[in-house]
Amino acid sequence: MAESVRFEVPVTAEEVRAFARAVGEDNPVLYDDLAARHSGLPGIVAPPTFTMTQVKAMPPGERERALGIEVDYGRILHGEQEFVYRRLPVAGETLSAEMRVVKDETKQGRRGGTMRVITFETVFTDAGGDEVLTAYATMIETGKDPGA
Amino acid sequence: MSEPRMVTLAEVHPGQELGEVVFGPLTRDDIKRYADASGDHNPIHQDEDYARATGAPTVFAMGMLPAGYLAHALSDWFGGPQHLRRYKVRFTTRVWPGDELACTGRIESVDGNVVRVSLAAARRGPGPEGLSLPAEELAIAGEAEIEVPEGGPVPFAGTPADVVERRIGGDDAARR
Repeated sequence: MAESVRFEVPVTAEEVRAFARAVGEDNPVLYDDLAARHSGLPGIVAPPTFTMTQVKAMPPGERERALGIEVDYGRILHGEQEFVYRRLPVAGETLSAEMRVVKDETKQGRRGGTMRVITFETVFTDAGGDEVLTAYATMIETGKDPGA
Repeated sequence: MSEPRMVTLAEVHPGQELGEVVFGPLTRDDIKRYADASGDHNPIHQDEDYARATGAPTVFAMGMLPAGYLAHALSDWFGGPQHLRRYKVRFTTRVWPGDELACTGRIESVDGNVVRVSLAAARRGPGPEGLSLPAEELAIAGEAEIEVPEGGPVPFAGTPADVVERRIGGDDAARR
């Protein structure tokens, strides 16, 4: 079983703008290079949840195969999501991502079934090897109905 | 939107409410636009037949869409997304087409120039036919840390009476 899986997440201005539009953003630092520089940023920055686009490079299914775990996507819910930022990604850079499973626990559910909690950690670093942000996606795999 | 009121860090104190930002009503186009932008093409969010086969009455938003709106509201309260140091959300119920999403926040603590806030996003609306949902319920509980510029003013939206209506729809997006 692989300890972690590595992939790249390109941050293009086009994708940043499309993502910003999709969450209704109108802040010019997400759209306009000059506006971003006026705000002291090196260029257009990505919205805080932009790295969700990591599924383009590492889709559900593929990530489990790479990490050697099995998940039933018919019974999965997104429970929690957390981001810890050093800075926001900047349009034009390519982030290196390293993903691993940091939690995989099965608990007794309230109705007698089981509930599995899986947390995927993805650390995003820049071309200089410095951390940009870390994302934690916690998925809940609900138990098969014990009565079924 | 009302212009952010500029305050100094000394004026920020625990218990302060950040206002309310309302997004929506959510449309299937909004869901498709987010799917295309994010790469989340799980059919449960776009394919009616697929959603029904799982027992849902219709399609519903991927959690990260309302979580994206909530991050947008939070960014606006603090003068831009670049000041965020941590953002965490917990999903408590599904958000359906037709729902509005009301985002609120509250200052929990101030430590140096790091402000910690609690966040909530409530879905409002009748919900899809076939479900008896409350007219309003918590969809996301969140928390965040913002590092405000040293010595600089803190823009924030002000009073709980401030309501910002934004319709996030195809027409709005097309205008940009």
